[in-house]
Amino acid sequence: MATPAIEFAGVEKIYRRRITGQDVVALNNVSFQVGRGEVCAFLGPNGAGKTTSISILMGFLYADSGAIRVLDYEPGDVRAKAQIGFLPENFAFYKYLNAHKLLRFHYALSGGNPKDSVNLIGDLLHKVKLTGYDQLKIGKYSRGMVQRIGLAQALLANPQLLVLDEPTSGLDPAGRKEVRDIMFALKAEGKTIFLSSHLLSEVEQICDRVIIIDRGKVQQSGRMDELLAVGDRVEIVASQLPAELEPRLAELAATIERGPQAVRIVVATAHKRELAEKLWASGADVVSITPLRSSLEELYMKTVGAGPAQPTVVAPGILGLPV
Amino acid sequence: MKLKALALETFRSFFHNRLILVLLIIWVLAVLVSLLPLLAMKAATAAQGPAQTQAVVLSFVSGIMNAVSAFGSLLAAWAAADCVSSEMTSGTILAVMARPVKRWEFLTGKFAGVMLLMSIYVLMMLGLSALLAEIGGQRIHSSIWVLLVYPLIRYAIWAAIAIALVTMLRPIATMGIFLLLGIVISMASTPGFAKDYAMVRHFLDALNWILPSTNLLSETRFLEITHASLKQAGWIEHLTTISYGLDYAFVCLLLAMWSFHYRNLKRD
Repeated sequence: MATPAIEFAGVEKIYRRRITGQDVVALNNVSFQVGRGEVCAFLGPNGAGKTTSISILMGFLYADSGAIRVLDYEPGDVRAKAQIGFLPENFAFYKYLNAHKLLRFHYALSGGNPKDSVNLIGDLLHKVKLTGYDQLKIGKYSRGMVQRIGLAQALLANPQLLVLDEPTSGLDPAGRKEVRDIMFALKAEGKTIFLSSHLLSEVEQICDRVIIIDRGKVQQSGRMDELLAVGDRVEIVASQLPAELEPRLAELAATIERGPQAVRIVVATAHKRELAEKLWASGADVVSITPLRSSLEELYMKTVGAGPAQPTVVAPGILGLPV
Repeated sequence: MKLKALALETFRSFFHNRLILVLLIIWVLAVLVSLLPLLAMKAATAAQGPAQTQAVVLSFVSGIMNAVSAFGSLLAAWAAADCVSSEMTSGTILAVMARPVKRWEFLTGKFAGVMLLMSIYVLMMLGLSALLAEIGGQRIHSSIWVLLVYPLIRYAIWAAIAIALVTMLRPIATMGIFLLLGIVISMASTPGFAKDYAMVRHFLDALNWILPSTNLLSETRFLEITHASLKQAGWIEHLTTISYGLDYAFVCLLLAMWSFHYRNLKRD
C-alpha cells in the first residue's frame, strides 16, 4: 500500500513572543493525511494555522512536537523537495530578472543544467500564458502575471507534489479558469496537490479531500463527497407528479419544485423507496434519485462559525436549484 | 550547479542594489577628489627634496588606502548581511528554499556571491594603489598576490561574521555591531591610545585575539607601498597568517550555518 504523500500526526507549534513572553498556539495536535494522487483543499480563516502548517510541511518552520512525513521524508529533506513544486502566498521574486532568467535560476537550484531548460521554460511560459512577456522584468509584471510566473516555477521540475498557497490570488476570472484547468490536467496526470484557497467554489470543483483548520485545530477532515453528503435527504427527479401522490408528499413534508420538463422532490431518505415505487406505480418516470449534499461553502461556514443557522441544501444533480 | 547559481545570482543582485551603487559612486568620487590635495601636496613639497616629497605623499596615500580598505570591510559586512536579510524581508527565500537546496548551501552560495563582489573591489583597490603610487612618483614593491589575497581574506572574515550575526539578529542590529567594531578597531589601531588606561588596553588586547584584522591581518601589512615600509614576511609567516584568516572565516561561516539551520524561515 502506498504511503501518504503528506502525513501530519499530532503536530504542535507555539510561537513565543519575546517581549511579552506570551505563547501563541499556532497548531494544536494537528493530524491529517493526504494520499498520493489526491487533490486536497486546506481551508480555514486567516490566522487559522494554514501558512504555519504549509511552512512546516516545506521545512521552513520546525514543529514543537508531532511527526511529519512528506513523500516519505522529513520536511525540508532535499529528496522530498526535489519532488515538490511550491507556490507561496504572495510569491516574491527577484524583480530585476525576467521570466526566463528566473526560471533558469530555479531550474539550476533544482539541480538541472540551465542550458537544458530552454524548451521546458518555453513550454511552461506558454502554459501559463506568459509567452511574449518572457523578456520583461518581473518587477513590471501585474499581480496576475506574477502569480502565473509563480505557478510556472512551481511546475518547473515536474513535481509529484504541488503545494499551492492561494494560486488564483490576483487573477481575473479568465486567469482563474486557466489555473483551474492546469490543476485539472495535473490531477489527471496523477499529481498530488495540496491547495490552500479561499475560493471555495473552485476548491469544491477540483478537490477530492478537504481539511478545514481553525484556531490551530483540524475541525473537519475527509473526502469531499463524504463531508458534503447530508445523508438524511434525497432528491428524486420524476417526469411528472400524479395528483394522487400530493397528499402523501404533504404528510412526508417533502419539498416539491416543478420544472418545465421534470418535477423535483426532496424527501427524507427513509421514504425514498416508498415514494419511488409509488411514482413508478402511478406511471411517472423516475429520472434520478440522488443523495443531497451541501456546498463546501456551507460546510465551511458551519465548521468555522458565522455561517447560516440552517445551511441551504443544494443538489448537484440535474436542476441544481436551491430547495 | 546550485552553489554556482546562488553565488552568481547574489553577485548580480548587488548591481541592482541602489544603496550599493550609490555607495560605490560616492566612493569613486571621494577617491577622485582626494587626488587633488595629493597633487597639490606633491607640488608644494617638491622644492624640499625627494625624500621629503616621498614622506608626505606616502603618508597621504597610506591614509587614503586605509580609508578605502576600511570601507571595503564595511562593504563586505553590509553586502553579506543584506544579501541574506533581504531574502527574508522580501520573502524570496521561500521560493528558493523550496528547491532542493540545503540551508548550508544557501549560505555558502550567498557568501561566495559576496566574495565575487569583494574580488572586484580588491582589484579596484589594487588599481587605485598603483595609480596613487604613480602619482606619488613611487611604485608598488609588494608582490601582487599579497595585495590581492590579504584583503580578500580579511573581507571574507567580515562577510562571514556578518552572515553569522544576521542569521541571529536583525540587519540593523548587525550593522550597529559592525559600526561599533569599526570604531573600536580604529581606536585599537591608533598607536598609544590605550597607553594610560589599563582596562582599555586589556580590552584591545582581547580584541586582537578575537578579531584578526586588528593584528595578524593588519591593514599595514599590505597597504604600504614602499620597499622600506612594507614588512617583508617569509612564506611560513604568510602561510600561517592566511591559514589563520581562512580558518577564522570558516569558523564564522560554520557558526552561521549552525544558527541558520535552526532558524525559522519566514517573511520578516
